Amino acid sequence: MKVAVVVQRYGQAINGGAELHARYIAEHLARHAQVEVWTTCATDYVTWRNALKSGEERVNNVPVRRFPVKHERDPLTFGRLSEKVFHRTHSVADELDWLEAEGPTSPGLVSHITKHAGEFDFCIFFSYRYYHAFHGARAAGTKAILVPTAERDPAAGLSIFAPIFRGVRALMYNSPEERAMIQGIAGNAHVPSVVVGVGSEIPANPQPQRFRQKYNIRGPFAVYVGRIDENKGCRELFSHFNAYLRDRVGKLTLVLIGNSILDIPAHPRIRHLGFLDDADKFDAIAASELLIMPSFFESLSMVALEAWALGKPVLANAQCDVLKGQCIRSNAGLYYESASEFAETLRAIEFNKWIAGTLGKNGRQYYRDNYDWPVIERKYLDMLQRLSSGTAPDGFEPLPGWMDRRKATCPPAAEVVAAAPGGPSSAPEMTVPRPMGPMSPPLPTRPPAATERSRPVAPPRSTQPSSGRRPQGRNRRSSQGAGAGR
Amino acid sequence: MPDFNVRSDAVNVEQIMEQIRSRIREKRGADYTEAQIQELASVKLEKFLDPRGVRSDLLEQFRRTQPPYAPPELPNFAFEAQTLFESTRGPLRFMRKLLLPILKLFFNPNPLIQALNIQSTLNASAAEREAKRDAARYAFDQLHYEVMHNLVLETTRLGIDVKNVKMRLESLASRLEFNERRARALESVVAYKPADEGKPEGRREETRREDTRREDNRRDEPRRDDSRRQERQERRAAEQQSRPAPPAAAPSITPAPAVPVVAEVPDVTAANAEDGAPAQADAPTDGPGQRSRRRRRRRGRRGSGSAAALMAGGQPSDATDDEGGAEGEINESTPDQLADAASGDGRAARPEPLEHIVGAQAHPAKAAASDPAAAPVGPPAPVAAPSESSEPEQPQADPAATPEP
Repeated sequence: MKVAVVVQRYGQAINGGAELHARYIAEHLARHAQVEVWTTCATDYVTWRNALKSGEERVNNVPVRRFPVKHERDPLTFGRLSEKVFHRTHSVADELDWLEAEGPTSPGLVSHITKHAGEFDFCIFFSYRYYHAFHGARAAGTKAILVPTAERDPAAGLSIFAPIFRGVRALMYNSPEERAMIQGIAGNAHVPSVVVGVGSEIPANPQPQRFRQKYNIRGPFAVYVGRIDENKGCRELFSHFNAYLRDRVGKLTLVLIGNSILDIPAHPRIRHLGFLDDADKFDAIAASELLIMPSFFESLSMVALEAWALGKPVLANAQCDVLKGQCIRSNAGLYYESASEFAETLRAIEFNKWIAGTLGKNGRQYYRDNYDWPVIERKYLDMLQRLSSGTAPDGFEPLPGWMDRRKATCPPAAEVVAAAPGGPSSAPEMTVPRPMGPMSPPLPTRPPAATERSRPVAPPRSTQPSSGRRPQGRNRRSSQGAGAGR
Repeated sequence: MPDFNVRSDAVNVEQIMEQIRSRIREKRGADYTEAQIQELASVKLEKFLDPRGVRSDLLEQFRRTQPPYAPPELPNFAFEAQTLFESTRGPLRFMRKLLLPILKLFFNPNPLIQALNIQSTLNASAAEREAKRDAARYAFDQLHYEVMHNLVLETTRLGIDVKNVKMRLESLASRLEFNERRARALESVVAYKPADEGKPEGRREETRREDTRREDNRRDEPRRDDSRRQERQERRAAEQQSRPAPPAAAPSITPAPAVPVVAEVPDVTAANAEDGAPAQADAPTDGPGQRSRRRRRRRGRRGSGSAAALMAGGQPSDATDDEGGAEGEINESTPDQLADAASGDGRAARPEPLEHIVGAQAHPAKAAASDPAAAPVGPPAPVAAPSESSEPEQPQADPAATPEP
């Protein structure tokens, strides 16, 4: 089986959530299939400047093919168009302009997909909101599988993406909340999907003492890992933590790991260590009492999963449905909506060791059941197998014509997202049994392209039909994890 | 940090969060979200704190938007006799005037001219009347608006007043509730203490003084015994001399407040004496407190004091009584004790002398107690306690009250 992974940026030094997600998936799928990565030459997600050479290279033994970005992002144009499409009634042409302005605009990548998608069984696209996913998925046609990595931000409400969500072959969601939101917006419950997420490379023996000695950190501390940015909820985190410090009851120090684009309050109990390598990061999490995730929007927090994998509780922002839902489903973390809740939950974890211990234990089990690599690989392989044996749907709905594109009939995207179903999902995630022995055998070799379409339809492996469109809006949630439930 | 109630390996995050939220609610009193708190905090209250300070510029706004009244210019025409034949052109006017008689040959235009003239006048007067009416209506509108404005203003003020009063009421209610809770908390905190600790400061002082006095008594006992013995011998001698004297001197040793009580008792005892029956038989029974006191006293007399006295001079036990001796007790009464007795303090004012006196009077052979010779024995003030005197003693049962042989 040949699988192409298409992502906006790719490389070992690139630590963005979706990009890392894509790299992990590519590397793990490479053990079972022939994987090739198609990406751009950009490394900066703000400018999309071409920083790497175009052409082929290997990253961790995975072949990577890079394509140049046509133009960098113009922040002014992008901001103006964002304001227009998110908050005003607009046209499809405006949305396409917005997509072009957002980037990374790489016509070379799209044309390569058009030419070579037929040589592959599936093309897995990461991050629905970028140029490569929109045009690439349309170019790949029925071979496109989408990993949306969608957050609850207005971009999900743009009307150009709904046909993508409905037209791809399958969707690999990160969380039930993400699936509920996308299905609410696009009405794509009929599309095969599964809540997968991503695992992480957890070290077997983290060294918390080494971290404490290296960075001279004493006493209990809470750790935040990620970009220190207002959009990530760090300003609110600082405000809440200052309120916690004012009470003089707790003894926790806040340790911040990551690059900062926000002023950090000067306080002896707020320590900023900057960007750390993976070993130090895991050591820091292992040494901490808990991990704080103040982000408002997350598709899936990998660092929260890493904390759970290391047996540490997580304190999450309850405004993020995904994090709150994960805390509830896993029973491995608390969440806060206000400063008082932040302080109380922090103290609850700090002073009740049995709570912290039990939450950590639950987190470890949750990670093991849902996000450990054998589970993730099994879900991907099952989905690919299921799609291989099923018939391809009709494909994507065509874009509106020249005149229709210019009719200002699209509602503001922010309103569309606001109307989508929200809130955490309390239903337990469907898990596949964790493989006890060696991993599942490699996928069967790809059948000849000519016979693929004419192959008779195999009987469905699950009770739910894997193809065929259902009326939109009917039993949207029932199809969740159809490929995973066994 | 108080511990949580959820004690099991399988924690429920929602349950923990519920407990945390309920704790926050308890602390804060109401479950406001952060946004609500921010909203409440951002409200500018000072405008509404004083209802009399409420001003509205509705009227000014209204006046500003309303233009001053100008009567409408209704179309009208002026019609005079020459109106039909007027023209700006002179020759034409001349020709019309010239041909007017010819025209009048055909019809008479005068009624027409007259009618139109009247109509014009009517139009003018109607327009004037309409203008006046409009002006009046405009003025009324303004008046109505002003009244409405004042009503709105007053309603707003009243509303604010009501809110202020409600808030004050809530504040008072919460203060009351707090005080009640505080009272309950204090009540629950109060622990049992021994009676001494519970006594007032004056009582404790008195007890201390009493103890000191007893200690001094014990120390001075040998000396005092000698002196008492001497006094008693002298008194006995005096008694023997004055035995035939009438017992009328008894009231003289009791202070004024005690007079009626003391006067009562002799009647009863006298009656008993007349019947020949012992006073004990008819006397009302004492309370348990008195009995136990007497019992203690007796034990004391049987103790070291009386033995020492016997050893010293073979006197009866009451002669050596360190606390129950009438003479000694009266003599040794401190001013504080006297004050307590006068203030009606039962225990402090219940010294032995009363029993002695009453017992002496109750007993037929106790007339000697009222002997004027005994008057200078000591100040009789403590005897005067009415509570004491109202309880008739049982002289037979009390060895301290028995007359010496």
